[in-house]
Amino acid sequence: MHFDARIAANPTAAAQRARRTEEAGYDGIWVSETNHDPFPALTLAADSTERIEVGSDVVVALARSPMTTAYLAWDLQTLARGRFILGLGSQIRPHVTRRFDMPWSKPAARMQEYIEALHAIWDTWESGTRLDFRGEFYEHTLMTPMFAPPPQSHGRPKVYLGAVGPLMAQAAGRVADGLLCHSLATADYLREVTLPEMRKGQEDAGRTAGTVAVSATVLVVAAESSESLESQARGTRRTIALTGTVPAYGRVLEHHGWGDAHDELRALSKQGRWTDMPDVIDDEMLRTIAAVGTPAEVADTLVARYGDLADRLALVTTFDSTSTDPGTDSRSWTLLLEQLRRAVADRRPTTPDSLRPPG
Amino acid sequence: MRLDASLGSDPTAAAWRARQLEAVGYDGGWTSETNHDPFLPLVAAAEHTERLELGTNIAVAFARSPMTTAHLAWDLQLLSGGRFILGLGSQIKPHITRRFSMPWSRPAARMREYIEALHAIWGAWETGGRLNFRGDFYQHTLTNPMFVPPPQPHRRPEVYLAAVGPLMTRTAGQVADGLHCHGFTTADYIRDVTLPALREGEAATGRPGGEVRVSLLAMAVAAETAEAFEEHCRTMRMRIAFYGSTPAYRGVLEHHGWGDAQTELHALSVKGRWAEMADVIDDEMLHTIAAVGTPVEAAETLAERYGDLVDRLTLVTTLDDVPTGAKDTPPPAQPLLERLRGILHQQRR
Repeated sequence: MHFDARIAANPTAAAQRARRTEEAGYDGIWVSETNHDPFPALTLAADSTERIEVGSDVVVALARSPMTTAYLAWDLQTLARGRFILGLGSQIRPHVTRRFDMPWSKPAARMQEYIEALHAIWDTWESGTRLDFRGEFYEHTLMTPMFAPPPQSHGRPKVYLGAVGPLMAQAAGRVADGLLCHSLATADYLREVTLPEMRKGQEDAGRTAGTVAVSATVLVVAAESSESLESQARGTRRTIALTGTVPAYGRVLEHHGWGDAHDELRALSKQGRWTDMPDVIDDEMLRTIAAVGTPAEVADTLVARYGDLADRLALVTTFDSTSTDPGTDSRSWTLLLEQLRRAVADRRPTTPDSLRPPG
Repeated sequence: MRLDASLGSDPTAAAWRARQLEAVGYDGGWTSETNHDPFLPLVAAAEHTERLELGTNIAVAFARSPMTTAHLAWDLQLLSGGRFILGLGSQIKPHITRRFSMPWSRPAARMREYIEALHAIWGAWETGGRLNFRGDFYQHTLTNPMFVPPPQPHRRPEVYLAAVGPLMTRTAGQVADGLHCHGFTTADYIRDVTLPALREGEAATGRPGGEVRVSLLAMAVAAETAEAFEEHCRTMRMRIAFYGSTPAYRGVLEHHGWGDAQTELHALSVKGRWAEMADVIDDEMLHTIAAVGTPVEAAETLAERYGDLVDRLTLVTTLDDVPTGAKDTPPPAQPLLERLRGILHQQRR
C-alpha cells in the first residue's frame, strides 16, 4: 500500500513542501484545485523531487479543453520523468457553468469522453497518426507536426478519475487508470457501492481486474494526548460538516442511515449557522468517516479498513498545527508514516498461513 | 527600451535558460505556445530567477476559460514576485475550433471581452465583491471565498495583446497594457498602421495616448563571420517566407507593395514546395523585415529603426536556429545584446 500526502496549491512554498514530503518518506503528493490553479504547484513539485509520484486530486477537467489538459499533462510527465498522475474531477454544474463558463451536461458520459479524447490526442503525438476524434461533447480533428510535442520516453501520464456516485465510478472502471475516492466516502460505502460499480464498468469495457488503482482520501485525527485529540477532532468534525452539505455526498451519509444529519447540515448552512454545524457530527460519524486515536491506533485502523480496498491512501490531517502537509510538521508526519508501515508489516505475516506449523 | 529574448517552450530547459538570460543582462524572457503548454516553463523560470520579467508571447486565449487564465496569471504573478506579464493572442479559427474544441467568433470583440472578464475576476478577488460579469461571449457569475486566491502583494499582472491587423490593434489600445507585435511587422508598418490604430483604441476608452507599451519581436541576422553570413541570410529568408505564406501577415506585405509575393508564397506553401519559398524573399524584403549584418551592424540597425518606436524588443536571431551544443554556452545573441545596450545607453545620454 502506498501512502500519500497533499500539499497546498499555493505555488510560493510548493517546492519546499514537496521536497520535505519526499524526505519524510511518502510515496506521492497530491495537489487539489480550489483557489489556485493546480499546475504551478505540480510543476514545482515535479521539478524539486526525484522519487515521489506527483498528481492532481483533482483538476477540474470540465473547466478546460481536453487539448490544453493533454499538453499540460504531457509536459508534466516529461518534467517529472514519468512520475505524474493526472487526477480529474467533474466539479458540479454551477462551478463549471457559472464560475468557469464552460459547458456542462451528462457529467459521467462527458468525463468518459474527456478521457477518451486525451488518449486520442496522445495517440496522435505518439504515433503520428491523424487526429480525428469526434465525440458527443468534444471534437479534436486538427493536429499538425508543428503543434505536436516531441516524443517522451516515460509513457503517457496515468489518468485517475474522482468518483462518488455509481455512474462516475463506472466511467472510471471503463477508461481510467485509477479511482480517486473522496474523504467522505467511507470504507463501507466504497466496498458496497463505489467499487462494485467501478468493477461493473471495468467488465463492460473488457478490462482485467486490477487495472484501476484505488486511491482513498482519509481524514486522520492522531495524537498521543486526549486533549490534543479533542481539539483536532473538532476541526475534523467541521470538515466533515462542510462537505456533508454537498448533495453528492448526501448519498454516502444516507447509506449509513445518517440522512437526517445531511438535511440538518444543509439547513444550518442555509441559515449561515456555521459554528453549530460541527456538533451535528456525532462520535459514530466521526469515527466511521475518520481514523481517530494515537498514531499507532490510527495506523492499525487505516490498514484494517483499507488493506483490501485501496492501493493507496491520501492522508488528510493537521496534527496540532495549521499545516496540512509534512512541510512544516515533519516529525508528526514521519511518525505516522512509520506506524503505517509497521501496521502493514504486522498485517502481512512473513510466513503464509498454509506453511505454518499446526497449533 | 527593454531587451528581451525567447525562453523557448521546453519546460525541462526553462529554468536553466532563464537563469542564463538573467545572467547576461536580458530584461525579460518570453514563452510561446506551439507544441507545449506556455505556462509551465514560466513557473520553473520564476522559481529560479530574481529579476527577469517573465511572460507569454503568446498564450492562446480562446483555448481557455478566462477563469483558468485568471488563476494561472494570478499564481504566476504571486510566484514571480510581480514579474509576470500575460501575453494573449487569438490564434486562428481552425486551431480554436478543431484543435482546442472551443468556441470562435468575432475575434477582436471576443478578445476585448476576454480581457475585461479577466479584470472583472481579479477585481472581485481584490475587493471581495460579488463577481457578476455578463458579456456577449463570457459570463462569470459565481465565486465564493473558498475559491478566491490569497491577496496579491503585487499589482495585477499586466496583459499584453498580440495584434497585426488594425481591429485587434485597436482592441489592444482599448483594454490591454501592452501590444505584442509580430516579428514580421516592419518599422514602416508600425509607424503607419499599428501606432495610429493603437492610439485610436486608447482614445476610444479615454486612455492617455502612449499608455499601452509596445513590444516587438525583432528578427536579426547577426553573423559573426563572412562565411556564415550567406547561410544565416538563407535561414532568415526561410523564416520570413514561412510567416509570409500565412494570410494573417498579408496586410504587412501589401503595405510595402509586396502583395504578389504573398500570393506566391501562399501558393507554394499549399503545394508543399517549402524549399523554393526562400527565393521569393528578395534582398529588399530581407533587409526591411530583418536587421541584417554583423552583430554590431544589426545592433545599429535595430537601435536606429526601433529606438523611438517601441518600448521593448525581443531579439530573435538566426543564431538561435543553429544548435549551440553545450548547455552552458552563453546565448548566441549576446554580442548583439551588448552592442545594442551600449548604443541605447549612449542615445539616452
